[in-house]
Amino acid sequence: MSGRHKKTAVRWLSTLVAFVAVAIMLFPIYSIIVASFESTVTLFSTKFHFFPYHPTLANYQTVLLGTQSGTATSVTISGNQLGHVLTSFEIALGTALLTLAISVPAAYALAKYRLRVTVLFVGALLLAQIVPSIVLATSLFAILLKTHLVNTLPGVIICDGTYAVPFGILVLRAFLFGLPNELMHSARVDGASEWQTFRMIVIPLARSAIVTVAVFAFLAGWGDFIFALTTLNGASFEPITLGIYSFLGNYQANWGAVMAAGVVALVPAAVLLVIAQRYIATGLTAGAVKG
Amino acid sequence: MESQAGGASPAPANTGTGHAPGSSGIGSLLKLSGASKQRLAGWLFLTPAIAYLLFAFALPIVYNVLLSFERDSLSTIGSINAPWAGFFNYTAMFNDQIAQSAIVHTLVFTVGSLAGQFIIGLSLALLFSNRFPGRTVARSLVIVPWLVPLIVTGVIFRFMFQQEGGAINQILVGTGLIHNPVDWLGTTSYALLTVTIANIWLGVPFFTLLLYSALQEVPAEVKEAAMIDGANPWQRLRLVTIPIILPVIEITFLLGFVFTVKVFDLVIGMTGGGPANATQLISTWSYTLGFQEFNFGEAAALNNVLLVAALVCAPLYLLLSRDQLRRSSGAGR
Repeated sequence: MSGRHKKTAVRWLSTLVAFVAVAIMLFPIYSIIVASFESTVTLFSTKFHFFPYHPTLANYQTVLLGTQSGTATSVTISGNQLGHVLTSFEIALGTALLTLAISVPAAYALAKYRLRVTVLFVGALLLAQIVPSIVLATSLFAILLKTHLVNTLPGVIICDGTYAVPFGILVLRAFLFGLPNELMHSARVDGASEWQTFRMIVIPLARSAIVTVAVFAFLAGWGDFIFALTTLNGASFEPITLGIYSFLGNYQANWGAVMAAGVVALVPAAVLLVIAQRYIATGLTAGAVKG
Repeated sequence: MESQAGGASPAPANTGTGHAPGSSGIGSLLKLSGASKQRLAGWLFLTPAIAYLLFAFALPIVYNVLLSFERDSLSTIGSINAPWAGFFNYTAMFNDQIAQSAIVHTLVFTVGSLAGQFIIGLSLALLFSNRFPGRTVARSLVIVPWLVPLIVTGVIFRFMFQQEGGAINQILVGTGLIHNPVDWLGTTSYALLTVTIANIWLGVPFFTLLLYSALQEVPAEVKEAAMIDGANPWQRLRLVTIPIILPVIEITFLLGFVFTVKVFDLVIGMTGGGPANATQLISTWSYTLGFQEFNFGEAAALNNVLLVAALVCAPLYLLLSRDQLRRSSGAGR
C-alpha cells in the first residue's frame, strides 16, 4: 500500500471524525429547533422525535402573540413575548453603546498617552474580568436600590456593562498599539485638538476592533440572565432570557413555549455569526471572558 | 491577537532626538509645550472608565464585604445603618451544610469541567490541524455553542436529559448502552455529573479555538525532526507539541477556571440547584440565600468565598498577562 493512499485514507477519516464532532456540538441546538415546532402533545409524550413529527407554529404563536394554543397545559402565558424581544434588544443595544462610550476613549488613553496610572489600571481591568457576576449582583442590587435604578433599563445596562467594559478596553488597547504614532503626531502638527485627533483619526482606523467589541457587548447584553433576574425583580418589562425562565415554571416546564422562546433568543447570535464571523473569531482569540 | 505594526515607532514625548524622520524641530517644540495639555486629555479620555470601574466593580466589592458583617434583610439592604453582625454571617455560612456542599460541588464541577474541556478541546484542535476536506466549515461550526445564551443552553440540556422523552436516554437505550432510561437530573447521584457534561459542551469551543491557534505556531521542522528520530505520535504530542504550547495551555486553563467557578445560568436553567441541593454551586446558593431568603448577610459572606476562590489565580493571571502590563509604559516600544 503506497503512502499516498494511506494519506488519503487519513484525510477522509479526519473528515468523518470532524463530522461526528460537529454533529455532537450542534445536536443540542438542532434539538431545540426541532422541538420548537412540535405540538405540546408531542413534547409531553415519552418519545423524542429526531425529525419534525407534526410540525406546527403554535409555540411561536404562543410566544410571540401570547395566545395559548388550547391544549392540556395548565401554564398560563403572561402577555406576549414581543415586548420581551424588544426589551432584550434595548438592553443589548444599551450595553453595546455604554461599552463603546467608555472603552474606546479609555483604550486610546491607555495605549497612546503616557499616564502614571496605566499599569495599575490595566492590572485592575485584568482582575475585573475575574470577578464572578453573582458577587457583583448582590451588592449592585443594593446599590441600585439606593440610587433608584432597580427595575429600570439604565440599571440593568450598567450591570451588563461589567461583562464587556474590561474586555472591550483590553481588546481595543491591544489594537490601538498597532496604530503608528506618526498619524496622531502629524494631526497635532496640523493643529488638530486632542479630541479631533481621536474622533477623526483614531476612531475611523479602529473600526474593525470597535465592531468586535460592539458585537461582544451586544451578545453579552442580549444573553444576560443574572442581572436581569436580580435587578428587574418585579419590573413591568423583562428580557427574553427571563421570559424563558418563567416558562420553565416551578414544577412543570411549558416546553413548547420554552423551546420557541429559546430559538427566538438564538436569532441575534445566529445573525451575527453569519454577518460578523470574522469579528467574532477575532474577539474569541483575544481572550473573551463571558458570563 | 495583538497587532503591533507600529512597534518601532517613536513615542510622542521623545521625538526631539532627531532620529525620527518627518518630525521637524518646530513640531517637537510645539508638542513639548503641549505635553501637559496632552496629559490632561489622556486623563479626560480615561475618566469615564475610572468612574465606571469604581461604581460597578470597586463599590460592589467593598459593599459586599460590608454586607457580610451586617444583619441584612430586604428592608435594611439599601441602608447603611443595618445592625452589625460581627462574624455571625461567616460562622453561619460555615455551619450551613448546603453552603459546605456547594463549595465541594463547585470544586468537583470545576475540576471535572476543565479536565473534559481540555481533553476534548485538545483532541479537536489536533484534528483540525490536519488537512482534510471540510476542515474550515467544521472549525467555524464548532464555535457555535459559544454564542448561545447560557440560560438557553441550560434549558436545552434540561430537555435533552429528561428521563422520559429525552434525546439522550433514547440514544443510549436505542444503541443498547443502557437498558432503562436514567433519571439524569432527578437523582442526586447523577445530577452533578449531568450539569458538568453540559458545561463541558459549553467550554469545548473555547478550548478548541485557543489550542488550535497555538498548534499553528508549532514549527513544522520540529515535528519532522521528532518523526525522523522515530518518535511515535503519542511521544511527539507529549514530548514535543505540548511543551511548546504549554504557555497557551496555562492561560486557557486559567480563563476556563475563571469561567467555570462563576457558572450560574446553566445550572439555574437545568436544575435550579436541585434535586435536594445536589447541584447547588456557590453561585446558585448565594443567589438563593440573597434573593429568595433575603439573607443578604450570609449571601455576601459566601460571595466573598467565591471571590477569594476566583482571585486565587489572580497572581498567575497577571503573570501570564505580563505582556499587556509591560507595554503599559506608553506608546510604541
